[in-house]
This record gives sequence, structure tokens and C-alpha cells, in this order.
Amino acid sequence: MKTVKKQTWLERNTFHHGEFWDIIKLVKEKEKKGMKISLCIPTLNEEKTIGKEVLILRSELMERYPLIDEFAVIDSGSQDKTLEVAGNYGADVYLASDILPEVGDKRGKGENLWKAIHQLKGDIICYVDADISNIHPRFVYGLVAPLIRREEIHYVKAFYDRPLNYSSGLRSSGGGRVTEILIRPLFSLFYPELTNVIQPLSGEYAARREVLEAIPFPIGYGVETSHLLDLYEKFGLDAFAQTDLDRRVHRNQTTNALGKMSFGILQTFFNRLHAQGKIDQMPEMETFYRRFEVEDGIYSQLAQEVVEEERPPMIEIEGYRNRSDS
Amino acid sequence: MTTESSPREASLEYLLKRIPEQMERLKAVRETCLTDAVLLGEIPSPTFGEEDRIRLALDRFRENGLNDPEIDEFGNASGILPGTEGGSSILVTAHADSVFSAETPHVLNVGPDSITGPGIADNAIGLAAVVGLPRLLEHLGVQLKDDLLLLANVQSLGRGNLEGTRAFLETKQCPIRAGVCVEGATQGRLSYSGLGTLRGEITLRIPSNYDWEGFGAAGAISHLTRFVNQLMEIPIPKEPKTKMIFGGLRCGSTFNTSPRRGSLRFEITSEDDNILNDMEKQVSELCEQFSLETGTSVGLEVVAKRENCGIPFTHPLVKTTRAIMHESGITPNVDPSTGDLNVLIRAGHPGVTVGLTTAENLREENETIHLGPLFGGLAQLITLLQAIDQGFCE
Repeated sequence: MKTVKKQTWLERNTFHHGEFWDIIKLVKEKEKKGMKISLCIPTLNEEKTIGKEVLILRSELMERYPLIDEFAVIDSGSQDKTLEVAGNYGADVYLASDILPEVGDKRGKGENLWKAIHQLKGDIICYVDADISNIHPRFVYGLVAPLIRREEIHYVKAFYDRPLNYSSGLRSSGGGRVTEILIRPLFSLFYPELTNVIQPLSGEYAARREVLEAIPFPIGYGVETSHLLDLYEKFGLDAFAQTDLDRRVHRNQTTNALGKMSFGILQTFFNRLHAQGKIDQMPEMETFYRRFEVEDGIYSQLAQEVVEEERPPMIEIEGYRNRSDS
Repeated sequence: MTTESSPREASLEYLLKRIPEQMERLKAVRETCLTDAVLLGEIPSPTFGEEDRIRLALDRFRENGLNDPEIDEFGNASGILPGTEGGSSILVTAHADSVFSAETPHVLNVGPDSITGPGIADNAIGLAAVVGLPRLLEHLGVQLKDDLLLLANVQSLGRGNLEGTRAFLETKQCPIRAGVCVEGATQGRLSYSGLGTLRGEITLRIPSNYDWEGFGAAGAISHLTRFVNQLMEIPIPKEPKTKMIFGGLRCGSTFNTSPRRGSLRFEITSEDDNILNDMEKQVSELCEQFSLETGTSVGLEVVAKRENCGIPFTHPLVKTTRAIMHESGITPNVDPSTGDLNVLIRAGHPGVTVGLTTAENLREENETIHLGPLFGGLAQLITLLQAIDQGFCE
């Protein structure tokens, strides 16, 4: 029965951050294996939360316990004080547009994650979103620990109890709205094994360089989905692990914003289905996301262009292959 | 004419002169201190519910190399940083409890030059300074002769009635030379006396057999309002200084139903214990009188009561603290304490309370500390410990 394998994977590859509380032990294991770990926070206008993330993660995981060897904030061109605040608390701050300038500049979180592979030197790269209100060192050590301990694991995703921060207080959201009404049904239809991943869209994950450099990166909403689909295709479910990081408090997004996000994810998803031969023919897909707006009783349609451009695997970039430290 | 300083004064002068340099050097360990403040402050720690925050304080004591880190039977966390000579100890304590309930979202926001969130000033940053002291001293190359006894005390606020520190001092068998209570705010506060305090809660109930048709019949809100007016008729002397504060009123939950129960929280502080006792008696008698006259049931519960205590303004500890504040660019503001200093002094130990930085919106959910003045506050604390250690405060 298929469920037996699911349970086995769930049992073997699902962790809780509490299993890795002994950070000194992790540091020793990391050093013994000669690993270097880089931490990347992609940002765009995150002045409210970036200070605390840099402060806590740098202080606890670089100064108190040297688990992280390198810590960078990679920014898409913030208009607020994100860069100033991050630099003030000791992060190395980079503009994505300054990294690999010969390949040009595209706007999106995935662009920052992709360029981090070139900019950072670690054998493991850990990505943490910048909008976490309740940041804690577990958001990093919980993700890198399975990679330090188990060689067969290549990619570790976070999952949480995710309350949303409303003005009236915190409310539980289950797995996240897009996960529950879009991703989980799609995975159930086309990639049933991947339904074992409890929060496929979580923005926190850590991975080995050799897998990150071998996969393309959508620069927009589809980056998390594409990672799962591409790595599953290459390595199977056993390359993944997931860690329960308990509670993550983050901003609530409007339903409209989630609709746009789903539109971007669907582009990435259908492209993968086609590329992996799961569907034979696919019509030219529209790139305009359309929704309605009503004002004074008059309905009007809004169309917004959402193009899920992709960066090729980093290993295909000449500038990356010729890095002085590679 | 040249005035020659005695070797002792010269040495104190030396400590004072080093303060600006210390302030500068402390900037290098700013992140460590602030991280502790945020991590401690984001753990809810209402009075009687401090366990989780205390657990982290204990971890920090252990990580920072203290001897005998422990949580005592009352819930306080403590540890010892051994001095080069030992024999006596300097106690440094910060209360770990907060006025905010566990249900309050304890999310702190870190800005470029401030931190905002419930309890950051009172007293997450104070507690962070205490748990981080070993690292700060190590960074500055300061080694004390005395043992440094660090305490994260529980049950300080409100109904806690200073029980944590009281129990700790009653059971800890070690010679304490002097004590310093550390509060996040406000920088410049200089407390060397504990103010006589009476905290009480008056509960008014309307009995089930209450005659709603009787003359003057009313619900709990009306009765409480009249009761508060009568309380305000109690004469409050200007000298010795005495003050009554109404801190909380709870009554009713709807628009159209008269509540049958309500409560009033108040605090009376006075420089004279006799006045305090007399006012307690008057409040108590008023409760009885009001009950009989209105057919309600009014009871007084004394939540906390402390007598006046203190060391003189001219005490070397106070004098030295003032000198250190001046040198740190801090203007002293004499402010009698209603906190843990009271217990310390009553236990026979000279002590002061100092504040680390400036703050806004104290005890509101948007409580804010300013980071710029913090280095002066920390340098003040460390220099004071050095001065006590070198005998300039006796």
C-alpha cells in the first residue's frame, strides 16, 4: 500500500526543531564534516521586521554559536530603510542587481534566492523570509540540522502552526489558504507523494549547494513549487525532509493578493507538468490575471500581468562556474 | 595650592574617568544584550507565570559560565560569577515578571535605534543586562574580587508583593555586601529607599436578597462611583508625602444590565508608616460603613503592604552612584522604590535601584526603549559594581 511508504517517509524525514536544541553539538558536527553554512534573507521593503531577524540570527548563530558562517541580506531595491536597518545590525547587505550584473536584473524574490547561490559560499544555503514577527534561532538550526546529520537529505522545508496577524489579534490559518485550496489539490492529482510535504509554500528552507545550482529558479511566486517539483523529479521524495518550527507569525495577505500568487504558481506548475511529460499538449497560457472590482455599483474587470520568468540552473551560468572560490 | 587626593579617591576617580571608554567599548556587544532582551521579552511572563522566561534566564546563566546556576523552590533563577577573592558577594537582580498577561501578543519590533513591545522596558532589557553581565564584564576585561550573585527574581509586581526576592534572601546563605536592582527604565532613576506602600482591592457585591425598590438602590457601578467619591474624602497629608492612586476599576459588561459585582484596585504610598496604617484603617472602616448603609457587601483585600526603609542620601553607595551617573552623562532623579529594593534594604543590605535607558509608553503594549542611552546605562551599572567591589560604597 502506498500509505506505508508515506508513513515511513513522514516518520523518518519529519523533524521537530526541539530535536536540535543542542546547537553546540550541531556546530561540532558541522565543523567535523568541514561544512560551511550560509544564511540568506531576501528582502523588499521589510524595515519593520528585518532588524530583529538580523539581530537575533546573527547574534545567536554567528557570535554565540558559530553555526552560520555567512549571513547576507539580498535586496530587490527597497524604498524604505530595510538596507540601513539590516546593515546597522551587522548583516552583509547586497542589491540583487549588483550580483552577476552580466545576466541582467529581474524583479522578484526568486531572483534574490537564485543570485544568492552565486554570492554566498556555503555548502548549505538556508533561506528565511524577512516578514517573520516571531523570529527565533530555531528557524535556522531546525532547517540546517537534518542536512548536517543526514547525507541523503538534500532539501529541508519548514512547516508551522501559522497564525495570521490581524489587527484584532492572531488567528489560525491551517496550512495556508493557497496551500489548502490550490497546491494540495494539484499535488493530490499529479504528485500524490508530495502531499507528504506539510507546507509546500513555506518560505523557509535549507538545501545543499549542489542541488540548488542544478535547478531553474522562477523569479516570482512559483519558486517554492518549482523547487519541490524539480527536485522530486531528479531525486525522489527521500531527498526531502521537513521540520516543525512551531509558530510563525506573519502578515496577512488579501484574497486578491493570494489570487495573483496562485496565478503565478499555476504557470510554473503547468510548465512542469508539460516538461515532465505528464500532459501532452498545452495551449499558450495567458499572462494576465483578471479579477473584478466594484465601485458605486459598477463592476469592472482588472487585468494585471503576472509573468513567471525563470532563471536557468545556476551551474549553466559562466560567471558562476568561473567564480574564484569555486 | 594643590590638593592631593587620597589613594582611595584617586582610584574612584580612575574608575569614573574610564566610563566614556567603557561606553564606547560596550557598543561592540550591543547585539548580544539586545538579542537577550528580545528573546526574554517575547516569552510571556505574567506574575506567577514566569517559568518559561526564567528557564531561558537560567540557560543564559549556564551558557555565560556562572557557577551553580539553579532555579530555587520559589522559581527564581540565580548563579554566581566567582570573584578573584570571594568571601563576599554583590547581588545584582532584575525582576522577570511583567504586567502583561500571557494572552498579550509578546512581539517586539526592533528599529534602528529603538525596540518596541510589551514589557521591553519593564523589565526585559533590565533582565537581559543581568543575565548578560558576565559577557559584558569579560568583554571589558573587568574582574571583580567579590563574587557576583546574579538573580532573575519572580513575583515582584502586583500581587507578587516582592515574594520572589524576599524568599531568595531569606534562604540564600551568603554574605551580601550590597545589592543593585536593575530596571530597564528610566535612566537617571536613583532609588535608595523603599517607599511605604499599601496595595488593595476593594470588591463590592450586591447580595441576592438586595432590595432594588429601596431608597438609593442602584447597581454596582453607581455604588462603586459613590464609594470612590467617599474614598477621595479621606484626607491625604502633604507632609509626610502621601499619595493615593486608583489603578483599576472593573465592573459590568453590557449596556442595559446593572452589574452586581465590581472591584477597585488602589495603591497608597507614604513616607510615614503610621499614616499608611491609619489610612488602611480608614479604608477598612469605610468599607464596613458603606456595606451597612447601602445593603451591599464591600470588602477590602490587602494585596501588598510594605513599610518604609532606606539608606541615607549621604550613604557612600548613594554618593558613589550619583558620581557615576554624573560621569556617565546621566542626571540623577531621586525616586523612592516600591519594588525589590524594599526587600533588599529591609533584609539589611545596602542597595540602590538604577535604570538603564530612556523609555516611552511605559506599561502600554507599545512600550519603547531607546538604544542610544543604553550604553551609558550599562557603563553606569558596571562601574557601580567595580566601585562596590573596591570598597568605595561603605
